[in-house]
Amino acid sequence: MLNRRSLLRGMTAGAAIACGGPANLGVPSLLAGASDSSGGPKRVIFFLQNQGFDPATCIPVGMSGSGSLAKATLPEPIRPLEPFKERLHIISGLHGRHTSPSHSAFFGALGGYRGGDGVPPSAATIDDCVSRALPETLLPHLCIGMDSLENMRTKPTLATLSASGAGQPIFMHSNPNHLHQMLYGGIADGDIRRQHLAQSQVMDRVEQLATTKGHGLPTADQHRYGQYLQGFQESNGLRQRLDAVADRLRTFAPAVDERYTQPQFETDWHDCLLDLGISAVTSGITSTLTIGSGRGEIFGSWKGLGVTEQGHNLGHMEQPDNPIWVKIRQYNSRMLVRIMEALERIPEGSGTMMDHTLIVYTSNNADKQHTSGANWPVMLLGNCGGIFKTGHFTQLDGTRPINALYTSILRAVGQNVDRFNLSESMAKKFDSASGPLREVFV
Amino acid sequence: MMLRFLTASGLAWALVAGMAAPASAYTPAEVTEATYAEVAQPFLTQHCVDCHAAEDPAAGLSLVDLGAVDEVNADVWKAVWAQVTLRQMPPPAVEAPEVVERLRFSDWIVAQLQRALKAEGGFRDHLDPSKGNFVDHDLLFGPLPDGLELRPTSSPARLWRVTREEHLTRLNELINSEPAYDPSTPGLRSHGDAVPTNHGGELKLYFGTDRILKWQGGTVAYATAVKSVPAILSPPRDHGLKNYPDLVSVNGAEATQIMSAAGDILRYMAYGPLSIATPEQITDEPNSYVFEGDIRGLPTSIVYSTKVVRPLTPVCDLLEAEEVTESHARAAVDFLFEALTFRPPSARESDDYLAVVLQAIDSLGKDQGVVLGLSAIFLDRDALFRPELVEQGVPDRYGRVMLQDWELALAVNHALRYIQPDALLRQAVQDGRMRSREDVRREVERMLADDAIRKPRVLQFFRDYFDYDHACFICKDNKALADTGVSNKGEAHYRAMFDATASTERLIEEVLASDRDVLRQLLTTDKVVVTPGDRVYYGRLSDARSREVEPADLQGPTVYARVSRPSFGSGSMKPERRLATVPASERLGILTQPSWLVSHSDAMDNHAIRRGRWVRERLLGGGIPDVPITVNAMLPDEPSSTLRERMRVTREASCWTCHRKMDPLGLPFEMYNHAGLLRTEEQGAPVDTSGEILDSGDPSLDGPVENALEMITRIAASRRAEEVFVRYAFRFWMGRNETVHDRPVLQDAHRAYAESGGSMKALLVSLLTSDAFLYRTREAGDSTLEADAATLEAGGQAKEER
Repeated sequence: MLNRRSLLRGMTAGAAIACGGPANLGVPSLLAGASDSSGGPKRVIFFLQNQGFDPATCIPVGMSGSGSLAKATLPEPIRPLEPFKERLHIISGLHGRHTSPSHSAFFGALGGYRGGDGVPPSAATIDDCVSRALPETLLPHLCIGMDSLENMRTKPTLATLSASGAGQPIFMHSNPNHLHQMLYGGIADGDIRRQHLAQSQVMDRVEQLATTKGHGLPTADQHRYGQYLQGFQESNGLRQRLDAVADRLRTFAPAVDERYTQPQFETDWHDCLLDLGISAVTSGITSTLTIGSGRGEIFGSWKGLGVTEQGHNLGHMEQPDNPIWVKIRQYNSRMLVRIMEALERIPEGSGTMMDHTLIVYTSNNADKQHTSGANWPVMLLGNCGGIFKTGHFTQLDGTRPINALYTSILRAVGQNVDRFNLSESMAKKFDSASGPLREVFV
Repeated sequence: MMLRFLTASGLAWALVAGMAAPASAYTPAEVTEATYAEVAQPFLTQHCVDCHAAEDPAAGLSLVDLGAVDEVNADVWKAVWAQVTLRQMPPPAVEAPEVVERLRFSDWIVAQLQRALKAEGGFRDHLDPSKGNFVDHDLLFGPLPDGLELRPTSSPARLWRVTREEHLTRLNELINSEPAYDPSTPGLRSHGDAVPTNHGGELKLYFGTDRILKWQGGTVAYATAVKSVPAILSPPRDHGLKNYPDLVSVNGAEATQIMSAAGDILRYMAYGPLSIATPEQITDEPNSYVFEGDIRGLPTSIVYSTKVVRPLTPVCDLLEAEEVTESHARAAVDFLFEALTFRPPSARESDDYLAVVLQAIDSLGKDQGVVLGLSAIFLDRDALFRPELVEQGVPDRYGRVMLQDWELALAVNHALRYIQPDALLRQAVQDGRMRSREDVRREVERMLADDAIRKPRVLQFFRDYFDYDHACFICKDNKALADTGVSNKGEAHYRAMFDATASTERLIEEVLASDRDVLRQLLTTDKVVVTPGDRVYYGRLSDARSREVEPADLQGPTVYARVSRPSFGSGSMKPERRLATVPASERLGILTQPSWLVSHSDAMDNHAIRRGRWVRERLLGGGIPDVPITVNAMLPDEPSSTLRERMRVTREASCWTCHRKMDPLGLPFEMYNHAGLLRTEEQGAPVDTSGEILDSGDPSLDGPVENALEMITRIAASRRAEEVFVRYAFRFWMGRNETVHDRPVLQDAHRAYAESGGSMKALLVSLLTSDAFLYRTREAGDSTLEADAATLEAGGQAKEER
């Protein structure tokens, strides 16, 4: 029988869940426990190509309404996915009008809120929320960004797409040498190993010095300072944990070759970064990977594909039947195939890693460079443990935002939310329904 | 016996200390072992349970068997604490508890919640800046009630994390040379000003923008190509005071990124643009560098001049030297340590970091080793936190220790500035002249008198107090924005709002320059700083249906606003403005400027509740409890209703107790639409701009108002608004909420402000020489520094020893 005390106890528990995310945004509790999966640990990979994703370059010819892809032929730009179309779900008709996606929605693309050049993130993005919901891994979340060689060298880290909260961007790694050192420095040779050891020594010493200066702090400051020290312990701990499993990682670590040290084109580094991203997933270092081709901005470079035009001009071009965009999209598609094939090679449970994975392919600015965001095409690959529908094309009516898709992904990783980063007042304007996107589920 | 403090001077404290307190006197917030039965039960029985009874309790809440505070009932106790502390309960119709009784009960709840929630990080609501007004205004400025005993005040020993603005400005000093202050162009950004936000409102550190001669492409290409590092430290909050020491720490991701940015900064310190460009790009004949093909947005699309404008430092010397010597390396370590922590390193700190650098050089060679080794200093505790630990010095009879030497100098410096203490202040430390109240007064008065010493912290206070800087982050619905009469094309509105923030800030500087009646001027001035585009924003929406705007006539002399370097090409970030006059029948002060109005709006409409809350808290000193989690705080979506009509839901009994404090103060601003334009109609009918000041605490202020202008005029003329302003200034500069024990400090500060004719400088001198600013108390149980006393010793002396 309920008494007042037990009722209050219940209210207290309910409040903790309700208050878990930033106010009014409906983000799930970042402290929520890892989702329990019956079919194996889930993984989610986000792949964003800049300059838009024109629906005409992904919807099979002749398909005007939703239906199976079984008898359809994929358009030329995504033709490399043809052998994998039973794993593919093409979705047209989501919108991102509220994200200000013209040129790029930046953090708004994965955040589902207004973004813009120079506008800081206003809440955590979907990839970060997913990484927190999934079972703990050595590295919670890895972001890689692909750009011109000059930009990747000059700005080896950049934050434009992912965020862990308001004003808290997450940085993409763009120099494969640095990333290789971070992930596999413990098993590297030569210069990378030397740098890894030196960096390790310095960071260990920094942690020691910081710890020393924490002795005797006022009680009230010990917790806050402890958070600071915890940061070192985490990063140094990650390195130590990676070093501790170095032998196992050795099987997964890509070999460092001339593409790393003497790249001919930027695509050499793009390929290296993808190799590193895939290896981080297949080795179990992380379960969440974000790939930003063009790094969320309006430029980007693909000279290695024979595309000599600079990124911004590419955005001004129509994408359908454009040989340049066919090259870029096919390159993306081949990358998606590489990811799937790599995951399929790793047995897991009664199947493979790919059986528990979802790949979300889209653009950080909806359908084209100068866009209102009225249509935001997405391709999903994989069913993530039998949850997501595949082998299908879905045409939506343009009344549900990308936030609804992100809500669906959160549901798939065990978060019981009805909205993602969309306040009730915004939802009234921009979402015709509540809850996940039913059309993506089996 | 009634104790009253006429002054906060040390003499007065000594006299007070000599007085014998009455046996029954209550000292607020004193640690107490009193039990629920001794304190809480009698209070609840006498004042609460008649209504909150076991059967049919008011608001559905029975307090009959609430019991002692524990984890389970903590939320109920929090609500009781807020209601009782804010004097919302018991209700006016019921006999009110005596002041001391209420205070004792409130303090007891806080102590018990801290104990009960210890495992969850403790109870900290009373320390949050949003709860500063939970201390009753009359206890601070009214007659001191019988039975209260105050103790000499101080602030806790603590670490302040540097703010993102402070951090970026600190880093900027390493790679950019800012122009010296020029009194003939007082608004232009100069050395010591904060690194401002860029065109989109993002705080970034830019590399080499002072040497860029040419680039390929437009403004977006420029913004992409130019090297920059975004602010790394996270902001603690949205609205309100942000810089309390205990709000934020540094997380692991931030530490990693600081390390990464350190490498970029060190390389730029050493090599300048060569660290981010090819030799061919560095030329004084920009046309000699030919852009080959379309390279817009690439680092190679920028041409830099050969003129060296970055600071040349021992870091540069070390990397340029053919061989690394210990003296070179130590000079670089010591220079960088002081540049990042604002004090010289102790001998041990110098040795520690030198060892790190030499070891890194040994591992990686000179270039890479120097960069890696020196990067460690960017993560030193004192590069990210400012200590006020008073580990040296003798406690007085109340257990207080006065800050001294570097801790005191850095506290004074931090009160006004983001960059290193100047030579005179550093010399004062080395001469042992930063150890007394008079030393502080001397330095504060000197710095305040010198306009060339930029004081971004003062501007930051007004930013935090007024909250006018959120306008460019309020995401507007496109149609709703167009309906206001302003452009909804692209980013035009958001750019205008960024400009509006800089304009309002410049107006504040104008008012501060006169330093007379500062608060009243800010609330009632008819002066505005404007861009050409503001003719629309300060205009009148003359026809809502056609969205026709009657633009404002904004004439006046040229002034300049402090904006960022051209982070977005040459097409924006223009500092040119006009200082114009607007009709007093249309606008009065900051609260009627688009920057403030839009900052307190939402996607679709005005935000009368937020505006009213601002007036209640920042001008009247009232407190608002948190919205209960069970409340669905939503207005109905009725496009054909006015905001006032939709706000009828807040008049429901369960809401109105709090909303009566806010709504009638926010609705007078309905004379403006949600982009800040004047309007006379809403939904086809004359707009209702009426409101009312209720229970302000000053009966002469209470009563209906016709519109925002009447309300602002009435409140701005009041002593209460001044006193509340002083409370906020206290919080900002002390980094904590005031307590009853701070009453003498607040009264002295207000007296200084009032007697000087409303001088901000006088207010600051009073606050910064107060006991609350000068003294620190280590909590009972705090241990002394165990491992490294040398760590915090003043560097100068230690270095001499070496």
